[in-house]
Formats: sequence, C-alpha cells, structure tokens
Amino acid sequence: MTEVVTAESGGNKTFSTLFGLALRLLWRDWRGGEIRLLFIALVMAVTSVTGIALFTDRLEKALLLESANMLAADRVLGSGRQPPEEILAEAESLGLRTAQTLSFTSMAFSESGNMLVSAKAVSEAYPLRGEVIIADQPFIRGFPIQSGPPAGEVWLESRALPALGIDIGDSVFVGEAELTVSKIIIAEPDRQQGGMMDSAGPRLMLNMLDVAQTNVVQLGSRVSYRYLFAGEELETLDSFSEWIGEEYDGEFRMRDVRDESEEISDALNKAESFLLLGSLFAVLLAGVAIALTAKRYSERHYDYVAILKTFGCTSNEIGVIYLAIQSVLVSISIVVGCILGWLVHHVILRLLQAVITVDLPAAGFEPFVIGSLTAVICLLSFALPPLLALRATPPLRVLRKDLGQQKFGANVPYGFGILGTIFLVYWYSQDLVLTTVLVTAVAAIALFLSGLSYLLLRSSGSVGMKAGSAWKLAMTAARRRRKQNVLQVMVFSVTIMSLLVLTLLRTDLIDDWQGQLPENTPNHFMMNITESQIDGIESFFAENGVDSNAFYPLISARVISVNGEMPDPETELNSDEERSSITEGAQPEEGESSRYDQARSELDAATGNSEAAEEEEPGEGQIRGRLGRRQVTWANDLPPDNLITDGSWWGEAVDAGYVSIEDDYAGWLDIEIGDRVEFEINQQTIFAEVSSFRSVRWDNMQPNFFIIFSPGTINHLGATFLSTALMERDQKILLNDLVRLFPTMVVIEIDALIEQVQNIIAQVTSAIELISVLVLVCGALVLLACVNATLDERFHENAILRTLGAGKRLILSSLLIEFASIGALAGIIATIGAEASLYYLQEEVFEQEFNMHYWVWIAGPLIGMVLIAGLGMNSTRQVVSTSPLSVLRRVI
Amino acid sequence: MIRIENLCKSVDTSEGLLTILKSVSLDIDTGEAVAIIGASGSGKSTLLGLMAGLDTATTGDVVLDGQSLNAMDEEQRAILRGKLVGFVFQSFQLLPSLTALENVMLPIELKGDAQANEKAKRLLARVGLDERGHHYPNQLSGGEQQRVAIARAFATEARILFADEPTGNLDTATGAKIVELLFDLNREFSTTLVLVTHDERLAQKCDRIVRLVAGEVVSDEKTSARNEKDEEVASD
Repeated sequence: MTEVVTAESGGNKTFSTLFGLALRLLWRDWRGGEIRLLFIALVMAVTSVTGIALFTDRLEKALLLESANMLAADRVLGSGRQPPEEILAEAESLGLRTAQTLSFTSMAFSESGNMLVSAKAVSEAYPLRGEVIIADQPFIRGFPIQSGPPAGEVWLESRALPALGIDIGDSVFVGEAELTVSKIIIAEPDRQQGGMMDSAGPRLMLNMLDVAQTNVVQLGSRVSYRYLFAGEELETLDSFSEWIGEEYDGEFRMRDVRDESEEISDALNKAESFLLLGSLFAVLLAGVAIALTAKRYSERHYDYVAILKTFGCTSNEIGVIYLAIQSVLVSISIVVGCILGWLVHHVILRLLQAVITVDLPAAGFEPFVIGSLTAVICLLSFALPPLLALRATPPLRVLRKDLGQQKFGANVPYGFGILGTIFLVYWYSQDLVLTTVLVTAVAAIALFLSGLSYLLLRSSGSVGMKAGSAWKLAMTAARRRRKQNVLQVMVFSVTIMSLLVLTLLRTDLIDDWQGQLPENTPNHFMMNITESQIDGIESFFAENGVDSNAFYPLISARVISVNGEMPDPETELNSDEERSSITEGAQPEEGESSRYDQARSELDAATGNSEAAEEEEPGEGQIRGRLGRRQVTWANDLPPDNLITDGSWWGEAVDAGYVSIEDDYAGWLDIEIGDRVEFEINQQTIFAEVSSFRSVRWDNMQPNFFIIFSPGTINHLGATFLSTALMERDQKILLNDLVRLFPTMVVIEIDALIEQVQNIIAQVTSAIELISVLVLVCGALVLLACVNATLDERFHENAILRTLGAGKRLILSSLLIEFASIGALAGIIATIGAEASLYYLQEEVFEQEFNMHYWVWIAGPLIGMVLIAGLGMNSTRQVVSTSPLSVLRRVI
Repeated sequence: MIRIENLCKSVDTSEGLLTILKSVSLDIDTGEAVAIIGASGSGKSTLLGLMAGLDTATTGDVVLDGQSLNAMDEEQRAILRGKLVGFVFQSFQLLPSLTALENVMLPIELKGDAQANEKAKRLLARVGLDERGHHYPNQLSGGEQQRVAIARAFATEARILFADEPTGNLDTATGAKIVELLFDLNREFSTTLVLVTHDERLAQKCDRIVRLVAGEVVSDEKTSARNEKDEEVASD
C-alpha cells in the first residue's frame, strides 16, 4: 500500500535530487547540442556588453586623464584680468591642488638679436597634470619634468636660440628682467590653451616670481591669466565649478577639455554615441538570439516534461529543474562571458596601444556587473517565460502529441522580451528621450515590417504543396509557414538593418573625420601679411620645399542694416561655429567673441573699452554688441569645403557689390537672397547685394568666413592677408628665418593641436571598427538562431517529401528558393529601415548631413539573399544527406 | 488495485460535444493483467489516460490503490504516478538527447536513488541491451527502442504498468518477442498490468479482456490463459 497522497503532500524529491538531475540534464543537453546555441547567445550577450563596457570605461578614464594633460589640470579658469585670490583659497580649502599661469607676448632680447616670443609664467605647482618635456641642448629629444623653471631662469624653445644667437647658460632680457636660459623646452601639456598669446612665437617659460621684475604686465596689457585646478574627486571639482558660477554670477567660468577643444569634444561625443548605439544593438541582437533559441529549446522540451510528469514530477518540480538548469547555464555564461569580454577589451586596447598615450587606469567592477546583469535580464525577459511555460505541459502529451504547444500564449514571451529590451536600453543610455525614440522607432519599424511582409507573403488560397516544381514548392512552403516566416523576415530585417545602420554610420563617421583633417592639413597660419609681402613669402616657401596655400585678404566688418533696417536677432549666434573657426578666432586686433580673444574682451570690459560702451543708445548698443564684428574676405573662387546652398557663386567676370553669406549666419540675421546689406568697414559704409548662401565646414581648422565679398567691393579699404602652410616638425626651424624676413607677420602654430586631434580620431576610429565587428558577430548569431528556429518543421516536411519520392535536387532547389526569397525580402525591408534610421541618427544624434546610400539599395537585398540562403542551406543540407527514416524517427 | 466508477469523458469539438467514454465501470485486482481491446476510436487510449491519472474525467472517478484521483489536483496525481505507475507507449517516448542507459536512469534519478546507473544497467541487461546502453534512440531499431522503454517502465519499481499498444509500431516477430519480455517482467515484478491493444492474440495472454465499442464496455471476460491459471491453482 502506498502512503496516502493528500492536498498537503508536496513533491517527494529533495532540492538536491532535483538540482542534481538538472545538472545531469544540462550536461546531456549540452552533449546532444540542444542547449549550445542558447549558451552561445548568452555568452555573446555578456561578452559584448562586458567588453564594450570595460573598454569604454577605461577609455573614458584614459581620455579624461589625457584630456587633463592637455590642460595641465582637470579644470581651468581663464581670464584677461587677474581673478580674485579668494578663488584659489576656496579651492585649497576644498582639498584641490592649484597653480597659476600668465601668458603674454613679448620681445626677448639678447646681445645679438631679438624676437617676438610667447611668454608664459608659471607658479611652483605647475603643471598639475601631465609633464613638461625639457632638454639640455636644442633640437634633441628631451626628458619629462613636473615643474616649471626656478626663479631667475627661463626655458626657451629650440628655434629661439639660433634666432637670438645664444646658447644654454646665456642671458636674455624679457622687459626689464635679465634671466638665464637654463633648459630647452620641447613640449608642455597646455601649449595651445592660451590662444594668441601662446601661438605668436616660440615659447619662453619663466617663473611667476620673475613677472613683476620684467615690468611688462601693466594695466591694459594683453595678458591671459589662468588658474589651474586638479582634484581626485569629480564631485568636488563639479561643486567647486558651481560655486564659482554662483559666487561670481557668470563673470568667471570653469572650463574642462570639452570646452577647450571643440574638435576633440566633438569626436569624443560622436564616438561615445556610436559605442552606446553599438552596445545597444549588440544587446538587442543577443537578446533576440536568446529569445529565439530559448523558444526552440522549450519547444523541444515539451516531450521531456511530459515524460518527467508521467514519472511523477510535479509542475513545481519541473519549474525547479528548469530554473536550476537556467541558473547554472546563466552562471557559466556569465563567467565565460566576463572572461571573454575581458579578453576582447584587451585585444581592443592592444590594437590601440600605439595611439593611447597615457597609462590606462585599472578597470572597475562596474562593467562586469553590467555584463552579468545583462545576462540575467536577458534570460528573465527572453528565455524564462517560454521555459516556465513548460511547467504547464499536460502529461497526457505522452499519448497525444498535439497537446502542450502554445499553451502559455505564443505572444507572451515576446511581451516579456519587449519589456526587458526597453529596460536594457534605458539602463544603458540613462536617457529617457533616447529610450523613447529608439523604442518607438523600432516598434514602428517592426509593425511596418510585419504588415508589409504579411501582405507580400499572403496566400491566394492555393491548396496542396505544389510539389511539381521547385519554385512552386518553395512559394507554397513560404506561404504555408506564413506566420513563422513573417516573424523570420522581421527578425532578419531588424538584424540586417542594425548591421547596415552600424556599418554605414561607421563609414560615414570615419569618412567625415578623415575629411575634417586629412593627412596634409596645413598646420601653421600666417597672419598680418601685407600685400607687398605675398610674393616674398611664396618664394621663401618654394625655395624651402614648403607647400604654400591661397592668401586670403582679412578685414574686420560689422553688419549695420539689412534693406535699411537694423537686424535684431533675438538670440546669440551659436558660438560653437565661431569657436571652431581659426579665422574667426585669429583676430589679433578686433574680435570680441572668440576663444582666442576672450582674454582681450574681458580686459576691454574691465577698462571700459568694450563695444557695448560706445556712445550710442543703450538698446542699439546692445544689439550692436550682439551682432559683433566679423573677419571678412573677398575671393574669386569658392573656398574649399564650402558649398552653395542657395543663389549662385559669382563667375569669372564678376562685378563688385555682391556678397556671399554663411547660411546659418544669414538665417540668424533673417537675410534673404537679393537683400541689400550695409556694412561698416574701417569707418566706411559699404553696401552689397546678397548673391548666395554657403555651408561652411567649421571643424576643418582652415580659414573659414561668414562673409565673402565679390572682388572689387572692399579691396580699397586696406586689408592684411592670411595664409596657411604645412610644415613638418623638422621644418619648424624655418619659422625663425620667416619671421626675421617678414617681421610684421604673426605665425600661429597649430601643429600640436592638429596632431592631438588626429591621434584621438585615429583612436576612436579603431574602437568603432572593433565594436562593429562585435555587433556583426551578434547579428550572425541571431540569423543562425532564426534559421534554426524552423528547422524541425522543415526537416520533417522534407523527409516526408523524400519518402514520397521527391528528388534531392527538387528539395534542395526549393529550400534555396525559399530561403533566398525570404532573405531578399528581409534585405529590401532592412534597407528601407536602415536609411530611415540613418536619416534620424545622422541629422539628430551625430549632426552629420544625411545622404542616401544608393549602392545599399542593391547591396541590401543581395546581402539578405546570399546570407539567409547560405545559412539556411548550411543548416538544412542534412535534410538530403540523412535517411528520411532517421529524420522521421528523430522528429516523431 | 484499480477501481473505475461510472467514468465519462466528453470533449468540445467544432461539431458540438463529443462523448468518448460513456459510464465505464471496472475493477482490476492487484497482480491482474487486463487487456482493453477495441477498434480505433473506441476510447481505449482515453480510458488508459484517465486510469493513469494523465487526464481528468468529465464525471465518475478512478481509485488507484485506494486513492480517488478525482480528489487530487495535478500535482498530487503526479506524486501518485511517481509512486505507483509505469508506462510503455506505442511510440516508445524515449528522450532523443539521452542514451538508452540515461533514458532508463532518468526515473531512478528522479527518485534520488544514488544507484541509478547500476540499476539501469541491470535492467538493460535484463532486456538484452547491455551492449547498447551508450546508443541514442535514433541509433536503435524499433524493437530495441521498445525494450529500452520497457526497462525504463520497470525501473520505477511501479506497481501498476500501463501499456498503450506496445507492439503497434513493431513487426509481428519483434512484437511477439516484446510481448514475451513484457509478460515475463510483469510476472517477475508482480505488477498489475493494464494493456491497451487491438491485437486479439496479445489480449489473450492477459487474465481478462475488456471490450470497448464506441466508449462503452460491451464485454468483460476471463481469458483462456486465466482459466488455465485458475485450474492450476485449484489443482494445487
């Protein structure tokens, strides 16, 4: 007699029995290949997320460090007049380290010569980040040191020594101070940060204590003060920055590297967006792969569960067994995925060794936590629902095979999957807007795709399998499996779309960056050139093998009226463009809004010399102040990187009296083509008719202009000229001769800045390539999982066809046609989706111009066809190579 | 051992309510071998499913070893199945990713028995497949697969064995060997056997034959084999 089973009797198996059984089942499933794809999908999810998170975490830290080195500090406060000392006191009370620098241009004299130098006085603690490279002799490789020169000494750049006719140990005069040249300065971290004051000649670095003795810095002198701050806690730096903003009511502002270099910050922001997008795609695709493989796994386990139930397993025990299987599986996946993720990020770093110049900080635990949680969330949302549905399998299935499938509701797992995906997207991006946009977009695309593919695959109601020809057989097969095929086309489409979006975006981004700063970008600007000097400069460059470029006249102008009325723009012009423009920045005498001349404008404001203080009506003065002065030019030909967006560029036989305006600037001033604009140039009034609008590439670090006049319009008003040249490191000595021959000329050296930007771009380019590869692997996995999802049914059906006498060729051709058609359809839909997504991403997120990728309209469907047909045939080729009986036996 | 009281089973179909079993009542004693015989669609397999607690009746009750299945939920029926019942199916129902040995081990492992491997090996040897333990189901013939299924059924040490058309997928010669094995083991383990078949010769090997026609019991007779057995007992 058995013991009586009552309502209180639970299952009679202990947890350890069930767990042991789960382990054995897992091992047997693994050996039988049942669970491998699910495991691989999980590992891929963890690997890609951990790898990307580790890489971005360390790269972000490294770039912050490197960026800090570019500033010689974490934060900088710059001003044309000395900021209050209490700022330093407050910083020190918060535990921040501080230093001061003072930049100014000055003449340096020796017994045998003199030259204009970019002088920089530094306090004892300078530099707070990075190193100064110095040498004992000119023109040799130097060594690093973390300080500036001691009092009474100066460090000079190599090329200043021959120009001044001196050696190490000799004296130079800076103003009234006689100082000893003790070292050669090869490099300093914040070389470019003082603007004009740091670019006007070779560097002379002195101790802050010697500044008073020089007597060159007086009220009204053009100087640039910089307070440097560094601290270990980001929060302290942030709250200190806020304190300054509040205490000084916006008079002083803290800056970090993103404020200092538009080009670098732009590249970094885009790379971060791309990495985020890449990791989102990777997670999304791995999630879909997990959902598909888990669904198939659970479908294949209905019999398993039914048998276990006939052996006396209760639903709860089945739940425990499958939960244990999944827990063990996910734990192993996490361990393997974390290890692989760590290796992947190491491979990325190794590849980037050449361009990452700083020691990388150690990785934190966070990326591993993110990767592990991704696996758990993926499993909970994608895999667990179909697996738990197994609990509901009726034991009667052992007698009636049709019972047990779809019991849980076929769409419930997808609902969980969608919720999980939304959560993951939000979790990664921490951006509600991006999450909403992405989720809405994907949902819209999915709906559109499913509707379209359903319509395309809709049956005309034909009966039978049409087994006579491969084509008909394939088409009826595609129609019969319409529901699965719509799902397949959707998954294929979204996968191919993700891959296309990422590949095209990557190509466009890299092309854009390479176009921004090509190899031969000129790295020196020559300004303040008179017309009579142009021939001499050209022949100097020709003799010395330096490529010289066009000479642009440069003159300062102000817009007074448009069609007789003073323009009244309500907002400030977007200053990013101005800050990006070398030309707009390079205004030794005039400008009031650029980064390079911030110091000047602040000084002017302090001395009552600002534009706003002119004797005009207060309202008018404010508007004038906002309109500002612009560096303008005239030209026969449209400058490179400029595109006419409206109107037309003047031809060869051009009349005077026309002007071409940058399109955003024209929009800001509400100017139309054909308008008559009044300018004030050198106290004279000039009228010109607007003949065209132009788009300008502001980030190419080349001369760019808001306003270009037709030749003959302003030629008589007296302009200086500007040109650019590409000088390699070993040609820099020529600068000495150049400034000696043309003493009024000002040379701005931006080679170090260009090199830094190019380095960072190379770095992020490589990172982007690798992330693309990772996402490609995830995509391939999804495609494989999706093909495998309908494999059983295909196997069964084709085994029956073969039993009934269908030849291998017929079956293979029909399979090929079916897969190729589905692939081509998915390719077409993916291409439409990819172009639509790219339009949004490029216009809104990456701030790039969107152009249709015409080749993709052919390549997309072709890729879909070849890829899906290839994968499908590879997976189903066994259909004809194994005996129909064994296929039937396996499936029944 | 098994008592069936006024068992009815109806299902909803697109053409209305379909009654598969109509008020079936039966008593099966411990150690008895009963064949349920009938044409295709007569309700044999449905009756088997209800007797084994794999399905629930519309009305009526099944009492297994004194316990009413009606009073139990699926969880409790599962526990009862685990303690009392073993199965042999027409389509074998071996798990394709497990080897023959692992298929036999599975119910023993479920009981938490540490000797699963040894016991399963002994049973496989008993059904003549000791050399084929590491083979997967699709590497075995139909007869071999059914032997594995029989070994698995007895591995649970069940007291009631339900067999649903155990020779239905086998040729006559193989079927005969399987039947012989099944009855041998049934005697050896003193199991109560309920066998569903449409094979009259197979049914004659049991103690009783219950005939079903359109869901109703039309006859319930002792077989000649049982009569012989009874006579032997009487003469002893």
